[in-house]
Formats: sequence, C-alpha cells, structure tokens
Amino acid sequence: MWRLKAVRHKARPQEPNDGEELRSARRQREKVLRQARRDQQLVSKRRVQEDNDEAEEEGAMDTAGHVLSKEQVVELFQGLQHGGARKLDYLQTLRKALRSPEAQLVFTKLENSIHVMVGLLSSSDAQCQMEAAHCLHELSHSPEPTVAPVCLPATPYLITYLSGQSAKFTELCLYTLGNLCAESVAVRDKLLAQGIVPALAICMQRPSFAVVEAAGFTVSQLLQTKDAPDKIVPIIMASGIIPHLVATLQPDPQFGMGAAIECAWCLHYLTCSNRGDGTLVDMGTVSKCSSLLITLGGAVAKGNTEEGIELLIWPLLRCVGNLLAGNGLDGLGPQLGDSRLLAALCVLAQAFLHSHPSLAKECLWVLNNLTADSSVFCSAVLFLNLVPVLIQLLPFSLGINTMVLRILANIAHQGTEYCSQLVHRGLLPALCATLKMADPDVVTLSLEVLYIALFSTSQAAEEFMKLRGPAVLEAIQYNSLTEMRLRASYLLDHLLSTHGHM
Amino acid sequence: MWHSELGQFLTSSNSEETRLEAIPVLNVQPKEFSSQRRRSDTERREEDPESPFSFAPQRMRINTDHDFFEDGDIHRHLYLQDVATSVAVASQVPTVSEFRCHISGCHQLFNTLESYEQHYSSVHRHVCSSCRRHFPSNHLLDIHILEWHDSLFQIMAEKQNMYQCLVEGCSSKFKTNKERKDHLIKAHRYPPDFRFDRSKKTKRLPRKVEQQQQSDVSMDVGCDAGMDCREPVARESMEPSQSQNPNNLEVVMLEHKPKSNYSSKVPTTVCFGAGSVRGFRGRRKK
Repeated sequence: MWRLKAVRHKARPQEPNDGEELRSARRQREKVLRQARRDQQLVSKRRVQEDNDEAEEEGAMDTAGHVLSKEQVVELFQGLQHGGARKLDYLQTLRKALRSPEAQLVFTKLENSIHVMVGLLSSSDAQCQMEAAHCLHELSHSPEPTVAPVCLPATPYLITYLSGQSAKFTELCLYTLGNLCAESVAVRDKLLAQGIVPALAICMQRPSFAVVEAAGFTVSQLLQTKDAPDKIVPIIMASGIIPHLVATLQPDPQFGMGAAIECAWCLHYLTCSNRGDGTLVDMGTVSKCSSLLITLGGAVAKGNTEEGIELLIWPLLRCVGNLLAGNGLDGLGPQLGDSRLLAALCVLAQAFLHSHPSLAKECLWVLNNLTADSSVFCSAVLFLNLVPVLIQLLPFSLGINTMVLRILANIAHQGTEYCSQLVHRGLLPALCATLKMADPDVVTLSLEVLYIALFSTSQAAEEFMKLRGPAVLEAIQYNSLTEMRLRASYLLDHLLSTHGHM
Repeated sequence: MWHSELGQFLTSSNSEETRLEAIPVLNVQPKEFSSQRRRSDTERREEDPESPFSFAPQRMRINTDHDFFEDGDIHRHLYLQDVATSVAVASQVPTVSEFRCHISGCHQLFNTLESYEQHYSSVHRHVCSSCRRHFPSNHLLDIHILEWHDSLFQIMAEKQNMYQCLVEGCSSKFKTNKERKDHLIKAHRYPPDFRFDRSKKTKRLPRKVEQQQQSDVSMDVGCDAGMDCREPVARESMEPSQSQNPNNLEVVMLEHKPKSNYSSKVPTTVCFGAGSVRGFRGRRKK
C-alpha cells in the first residue's frame, strides 16, 4: 500500500491548523469527485513518488523552490537539446520542475520537446532513460487535456519497455501509461492499437508485486472508460489477463494489499460491464472473492485491520453481488460452499456501519442477493444465528434498514418454519419499531414482512397482538400514502377476523 | 458477545462446520400461504387476489454508474489521488432513522422511538369519537364518555353515586361533580382547576359562553394551547402566560392550563375510522 503509507507520514500535523487544512482539502476534493461522477467523468491519475522525492518536497513545501519560470524551463530544454555531459543534471532539474502544471504546459508547447524527450527515453544511457521516464510521468499527470496527446510519440517505447527487466522502470512506464489512457478516446485507441493489452498481460505475470499493482492500475483505467464494455472488455477477456487478476486477489503479508486492490477493482469493472459473467465465473471469481471476504471478515472480527482494508472489501462485495444477480445460484453453487460468507458479511456490515455506512449497505446487498429465493442460504442465516445481528442494524438509515428488511422478507417468504424462526428471534418487536419510522420505504417493507409473518403462523399474530401491534397499524391507516393505508387496513381486517377483539 | 463467536467461526479451520451443505435446510412452503394458514378451518376463505402486498424476493444487479456505488467509488478515487484516509467524511455519517407520526396532517418528526410514542399516546390515542376530545389515558376517556355521552348516566346519577374519582386505583364514587372535585383536592391534592375535571354544562358551548364560564369546570377539550386549529380560536384565558408557543405540544398534559381553546368547528373532512384516532392540522415541526 505504497500510497497510504506516504499519506500517513505526510499527515503529521505540525500545528493544529494542518490537520484542519488537510481535512478541508479532502472535503473539497471529494466534492469535485462526486460532481465528476455525476457527470460521468470520474477519472483519476496516479503519481509515483520516490522516497527521496518526499523528503525534498517536505522541505520545500513552504517555499516555491520548484516552480521555475518559463524562461528557466526553456533554458533547461535547450540544455537538453545540446546534449553533452550535463544531460542528466538538466533532466533531474526538469523532472522536479515538471511537477507544476504551468511548467508542464510550457514544456509541451516548446517545439520538438517531446521528440527530444523520447530520444532520451530510448537512449542507451540507463540513468537518462529513468529520468526521461520520470519527466514523462510528470507530464502524464497533468490535469490539462492538451498535454496527454502530446505525449503520444512516447507510448510505443513505453509499451515496449514494459517487457524490460528493471521493475522500477517498468512500474514507472506502467503508471505513465495508466495516466495517459484515461485521458481521451484518441489516446486510448492508439494505445490499444500499439498492443498495450498483451503487454499488460505479460506484466501481470511478473513476480514483482509492485509491477503487478501498476499493471492492475492501468487495466482499471482502461476499464473505467465509457466505451469500455464494447471496446475494451472483449480485448481484455481474450488476453488471458483475468486468471491473473483472480490469482492476485490474495494480499501478500509483506507487500500488502496494493496489488490485490487494483485487481479487485478491475474485476468489479469487468463484472459490471455485463459482457462476460460466464467467463468470470468459470475462472473462479466468486470462489476467490468470497473466500477472501471470509478472511477479511475474520481479520476484522478479531480487530486486526489494516488501514485501507475497505478499499479491497468494496470491489469484492460488488463482484460477488453482481455475479449472483447475473447467474443465480445454480451456476454458482459450488463456489459458494462456505457458510462463513454469511457470517463475514454480517461482521463487516456491523464493523463498518459508522465509518463507511455505504460499505455496510453493500454487504447487506450481497446478503440480499444470496438469500433471495434460496432456502439454503435462508436456512443458513437462521442456523448461524445471524438474525439478531441484522435486527441490530434496523435503526440505521441511508439504505441500511431497507436492505435488512429485504433480507428478512426473503427469509420469511420461504415459508412457515422460516417465519416461526424469525418470530422466535425477535422479528415482531423490531417491526413494531420500524413501522413507526419516517421513511415510507421502510414502513412499506415492514408491512410486507409483517404480512408474510402474520399470514404464516398464528403465533406471530398472537405475539403481535401482545405487543400492541394493531395500534401501530391503526395509526398507519391515517397515513397520507394510499398504499400504506391499504396495507395497514388489510392486516387489521385479517387480525380482527381471526382474532376477534383487538 | 457475538463478535468474538463469529470471529472464531470465521477463522475456524474445521471444514466440516463451515460447509454450507452441512446446514439443515428448513422446509419450504410454497407461496400460497393465504388459504392454508387461516385459523378457522371451517371458514372457507378464498385465495386473496385482493391483497395489496407485492413483495417478491429479487436479486439486484447494480451498474457501475448507479448512485448505490457512489461512496465506494469516491473513496477509491480519493485513494488514487493520495487523499484517502480510513474514515469517511462527515457527509456519510449514518443517521438513525427518524420516526414520523403517521396521522395524516400531523407532520411531526421524532429522533427517538420514545419521543414518538410519547407524542402519539398523548395526542392521538385516547380520543372520544363523539366529541373528538382527547385524553391522556383510557381511564379518563372512559369516564368522559360515561359522563358526557351516556344518556343513562344522568338518570342513574340521581339514584346512586356515579361520579368516579379520576385517580386510577381510587374506587371512590360521588353523587355530584363538585363532591368529586373536592375529593380530588382534599384526598389527592389536585389543583382546583385540573384540566380534566370539568363538568359540562351543555354539550357544546359557544365560545363566548365558555369564556364567561372560566371559573366553571368543564371537561377538557382537545386542542392544546399553541395548536394551530383550522379555525382561529379565542385565546383569552385565565392565565396571561398562555402562549402561542407552537412547541408546547409536548408539555405535560396535566400542567395547569386554563380554559379551552377548542373550536367547536372541527373540520368535517377528518376521518375517524375506528373512532379513536384523530388527525389535525399541525404546522409545528419537531
């Protein structure tokens, strides 16, 4: 997890203000991202940082030491053009300069600048190659849409070097390509034509986790584009990358989760594209994802959580959830043979309820997909005594209680014995509370569950009466929404007719 | 604590106990539970096609762009952009669901179940179906109905002590309203103008008359101080401090409150169903 480590030690607050500044910067960034997502333009780039880079940056944080003027950039470039022994120095200075967006623009507008850079990239001087690659990497990170296309002449080389020996160099090229391919259709088409996908497939098999992580990142960038399902997914499917994605899902004790995270997100994008569920299932995606969820659930339950674990959990949940919805359990049966998955989902939902409620909601979504129309999973939920855990989640909004109610409805729907078990475990008092909630979806779903329970077992009706449930229903009869009034009245009529007085 | 049990289960290496197949599957009943589960066998019930319920279990497939996935995507991208931390931003804090009073027209929201129940039982629960006054308890409602709406009551009261003590558990009965009131003051230390101990002179008093009879005791009426009834109501009262504070609803009912603010013209559009619930227009928020 190369990045989170860096963030952690960067976020040492010197004064209290620093913490607040960071937080507000983050909130700002988040707002921008949310809007971008709504506009369907959610694109992010990654920046590789060396350790010594960070030290320098920190020292220079208060000074504008690295921002060079336009003239200085031009000077550097001219120095480069002339070649000679000082090339390396110029490159190193230029690389730092190119962190600033202004310098990036200046550089790319200079005539022949990329050409020269490519020349240095493809030279036989390893150090120059590295520095040139760094420069290109900084350029690839530019927020300006005009910069990426300018870098295109470099890409055939970058792709070629992917099969090179040096892991560090490969990593750098990968992140550069990953940044570039998110940019524009033109750039992407070119990269595809230049054979980026087969090259990525080879990278994914490298023994270096850092390289695999970088390759995974690049694949994920390709898969997130709007045209991905039609253009890119088929190529990826055909390239043999998927088995490697699946295989990399296991976090490495030393390297950490970085590579697994990237691969998991790739699998999520592939699943969502709806273009190859069968293939994904055949390659054991569900099996791997669910066993990993079990492992992570176990770690969370024991309190051994690493920072950022949710970044891995999220895409795993989505893969399982969507593959379940696509296939149904028939094809997936063998891959879902471990009952601990249910327990893991409950543990994760409970654990992340306050820090990441959306994650809790997605856990419950997967539970819904597992239990819908499945006597096996419904029985398992009851058998493993997970119902009290679910009921504890009912007070919470943001989609959590509606999802829990769906799960309970799924179970009740299976029949009398299931209802009895639910009632035995405290379903009715829980419903009496949810029936009073403000959210109409919650109330409607509660009425549905209540309907199934009341009509399935007489013990449910008796207990409901004892809990003064009918009074709650009476109140709902005066609700402004017709569908609620109808349902409440219907249930009251039934109770009256079968139980006489109320 | 379930956490540790589940934790152990999750890290168990005993493959026998984790096999899904090892779990017994309960009998599944087909969906037509309507006709089979009815209590009385003699009663022939039809299938109920009229049932307004429509739930069916369904697996949900969610697309990349769906809002459902928004928070996770944002978190992922913040990580890519190196701004991720392990705790979500404030906007994502889960809120505990609010409770809302269901009665049409009553728009009150509550943060806790208790406050909702308090509201409901004090305002909506014990309401007289004849005159729509409401009472804090069944006991008082019963007494009210008996004394106000039972035509035999007056007749019987001439012959025997019919006026019950208002305090639950006290079985004293009295010949007249006044005697009861004295008893309440002396034995139970009630204030002389207890709001739920007012006799009626006539069934409905025009407002002017009611004002003049301030010192009289008349059974309490429904509208509380501060309630925004449809009809504007005279607010003259014994107590100058009577305020139009719209938030007074949750003030304890037994508090010393002066004359009624009840408008005799309750909107006829309010429907009562079983007769014990009342809707009213409230412009209050919580």
